[in-house]
Amino acid sequence: MQNATRRHVLKAAAGAAVYGLAAPALATAQTLPPHERELYEAAKREGEITWYSGQYSAEGSEAVGRAFTERYPGVRCNVVRSTSQVAFQRLSQDARARVAQCDVFSSTNSGHFTLLKRENRLTQFRPRNADGMLESIRVADPDNFYQTTFLGLFQLGHNTQKVSEAEAPKSWTDLLEPKWRDQLAVGHPGFSGAIGVWAVQMRKMYGWDYFKRLEQNRPQIGRSSQDPVTLLNAGERTVGVCVPAGTTLLSISRGNPLRLIYPTEGVLATIAPSAIPRNAPHPNAAKLFMEYQASKEMSQVIRGLFAEPLRPDVPGPEGSLPLDQIKLLTPTLEEQEKGVPEVRELWRDTFGV
Amino acid sequence: MTNSATALREPATGSAGRRTGLLGRLRQVEPVALVWLVLVLLLLFLVVAPLAKLFMVSFETQDTGAFTLSNYLTAYGRARYLDALVNSLILGLTSATISVVLAVPMAWAVSRTDMPGKGITWAVVLGAFVMPPYLGAIGWILLAGPNSGVVNQLWRAITGAEGAFFNVYSFEGLSLVIALHSFPLVFIFVKAALDLVSSEMEDAANILGAGTWTAMRKVSLPLVWPSILGAFIIVFLETIALFGTPAIIGIPARINVVTTQLWQFFEYPVRVEVAAAYAMPLLLITIGMIVVQKLMLARKGFVSQTGKGGERRVIKLGPWRWALFGWCACVGALSVAMPLLILVQASFAKAWGRGVSLDNFTLRNYQLLLFEHEMAMTSIWNTIWFSAAAATLAVLIALLVAYIVNRRLVPFGEALGFLAMAPFVIPGIVMAIGFYAAYASPPLALYGTAAIIIFAFTARFLPIAYANSSAAIRAVHPEMEEAARILGSGRLHAISRVTAPLIKKALLGGWLIVFIVASRELSAAIFLVGPRTRTMSVLLYDLSEAGNFEVLAAFGGLLLLITLVFVAIGMKLVGRDFMLRRS
Repeated sequence: MQNATRRHVLKAAAGAAVYGLAAPALATAQTLPPHERELYEAAKREGEITWYSGQYSAEGSEAVGRAFTERYPGVRCNVVRSTSQVAFQRLSQDARARVAQCDVFSSTNSGHFTLLKRENRLTQFRPRNADGMLESIRVADPDNFYQTTFLGLFQLGHNTQKVSEAEAPKSWTDLLEPKWRDQLAVGHPGFSGAIGVWAVQMRKMYGWDYFKRLEQNRPQIGRSSQDPVTLLNAGERTVGVCVPAGTTLLSISRGNPLRLIYPTEGVLATIAPSAIPRNAPHPNAAKLFMEYQASKEMSQVIRGLFAEPLRPDVPGPEGSLPLDQIKLLTPTLEEQEKGVPEVRELWRDTFGV
Repeated sequence: MTNSATALREPATGSAGRRTGLLGRLRQVEPVALVWLVLVLLLLFLVVAPLAKLFMVSFETQDTGAFTLSNYLTAYGRARYLDALVNSLILGLTSATISVVLAVPMAWAVSRTDMPGKGITWAVVLGAFVMPPYLGAIGWILLAGPNSGVVNQLWRAITGAEGAFFNVYSFEGLSLVIALHSFPLVFIFVKAALDLVSSEMEDAANILGAGTWTAMRKVSLPLVWPSILGAFIIVFLETIALFGTPAIIGIPARINVVTTQLWQFFEYPVRVEVAAAYAMPLLLITIGMIVVQKLMLARKGFVSQTGKGGERRVIKLGPWRWALFGWCACVGALSVAMPLLILVQASFAKAWGRGVSLDNFTLRNYQLLLFEHEMAMTSIWNTIWFSAAAATLAVLIALLVAYIVNRRLVPFGEALGFLAMAPFVIPGIVMAIGFYAAYASPPLALYGTAAIIIFAFTARFLPIAYANSSAAIRAVHPEMEEAARILGSGRLHAISRVTAPLIKKALLGGWLIVFIVASRELSAAIFLVGPRTRTMSVLLYDLSEAGNFEVLAAFGGLLLLITLVFVAIGMKLVGRDFMLRRS
């Protein structure tokens, strides 16, 4: 059966080559591993997948969606990129309206997934490609309701023209020094999942007092964790707090005067999953997309945008330290689920928005 | 009664008899009555049901639907939530005041005086009206960011000062930016009123010894007081319903307002009930404002139009005309020229803070949107066809309602007119939450469809279409239709062959205005869009989260380009001032 299919495909490919038609598409189909090919056939009948994501940047998410459709022609990826809390808000609005629109949900706040799993709103699925992922992140959920698809490092960054390397803060607590008044920029836990996780981590290490003291320095509050990167580029603020390494490195590669700082206490790592909602309208395409997110191909795409690959067979992005040389800070999933809504409220009381 | 009795007896008399009977009955029913019924149903669907649902939901317990007052307690139980309400009120009043201050001198200058550069002033007003407020907000962040904003950099370079000249991330910044895009409403209203005041009133004042200034202050302006007040209320309502600008400027400025608070009630778990309860006072405030307006205008006469056609001469201002022109130019620079220039610069920049230089020039932002961002093009298409559909629907409904009301074809026709005008005073975001509450879930399950957005836009902008159609219909004397009918034409035939051609232009103008305001609408769309139905404004909002102003500016540029194409079409087909004519 498989032979016949292959021969058929080869013949078709030869025919296409003669006429110069659709050669790349067929070539891809041919090279797919069997488990992907099977899903691909089913996914093609569904035709599309809608991806609510707060993980990679807008540019990165679009690149992933485009690369997916290129690899699996006939399965269009609708990228709905927003901050993670807004993505979750959209999912909740869908649920409230009893309308199923989302096929794959990705968030930097892992607490979303423990909550969705407990409410029995996720599909059990383990992508086979996950076997090739970094061992430490291979299993996000022992029951396979969600799967790690994002390894985000969140650090400090500074504008090198306004603040020298020697002057720049070295640690998370350095930010509390009065000399950073009106210099800092940070996202908002009501929007960004990563900022919520970071706030949980800081509260765990230093208590909420950390944020009350941070407020004395009047940081500029945006929405996404990436927001400060633009502010630093423009020179509006000089030090970015909890900025994603990927977006910062990408910005540096485009000639902006920025530098990443590895805080002495450690780097915030959001080892964040994706999941298929139980009512996903395109379940096979969703599974194919989960396979894709675990694949070497996607790790290569995101590496091109300076995000951290998920697999040992793809080297880390240029300009970043190898993972084994960094101390990672990560709250547990339970701490995230319980903590983020709490710090969001506390944040609004402390900062006023 | 006799008729229906005949109809009831009909079946016994065979099919031929039945046909004449039914036809006879149908002939009795004027088509107008059917149209009226359809209109009533449509208006119930578009206006009444969402608001009624919102009102009911505000007293419901989530999941069970049991009666409760706890939503109101939750919505008003925290100081922060109350602060947001107070902030919105102050913001609305401040922006409306600034708008009046900006626009009234402009309106007076254009309507009554020999100020030079009236054409430019028109262009300024039109430009400020066409530019979406959130785009202006982004322009002003680039202009007046306290450290990197161009204005502040210049200020520091010139004066050597340390601080910022103007910080956009402040209450003043927020209210000014909003006013800079709302003042055209005041201009349109006040100018239209001033156009009707004849010079003889001012002459009388002059004869009694008043100078130009006193005559303007004591005679002309008080005469147009109702329109100033009306415009003030509209700007106030638009301001408290605004979502994009407060999200973009208000969050960094630490200002929480009603709309951003409503958004928070949609966080997990989605609390539509609490949001509904929180929105109710907005409606009360609106009603309150209208009552205040009535009281303030009561028992005073504002008649400026009389049977004797008064002469209207321009007032000669001497050198003062340049001062007025300076004022108009200043408003134009602040509201249109400066934000537009900086947005264009940013859209071609790698990093907007690095200024204009060759190594900062890139086409990447446009390339990303046009060729790499799958949703960008879809959202452009969505915007065009949702707005076109909403404009068509709104003009059609408005035309029929206006016709029925003006020709007094049915009893209680005014009720229809009232319903068509009602959304005017309902903040857009409240309307959207009403639509979400009423139509998102099954049985209709419209959430995420194009239909729900089109309906929301139709309802939101129905008043504009209605005001437009109503004025157009009123301008056509019934005698022309009557002539056609005497010659044997039916009513619908007469409308389509006589009335419609006469008001074609006005309707097209109305259609274009609804199209343009719908194409930039954010607050009514934000709760209703699905993955494939995002409009440009919503995508712009999504993109703005990450603060990537260069891409945002490029996308804003595309949005403006599309709008301008339609404005140009309007000017060509309807006349230069079609957007600003208040009929």
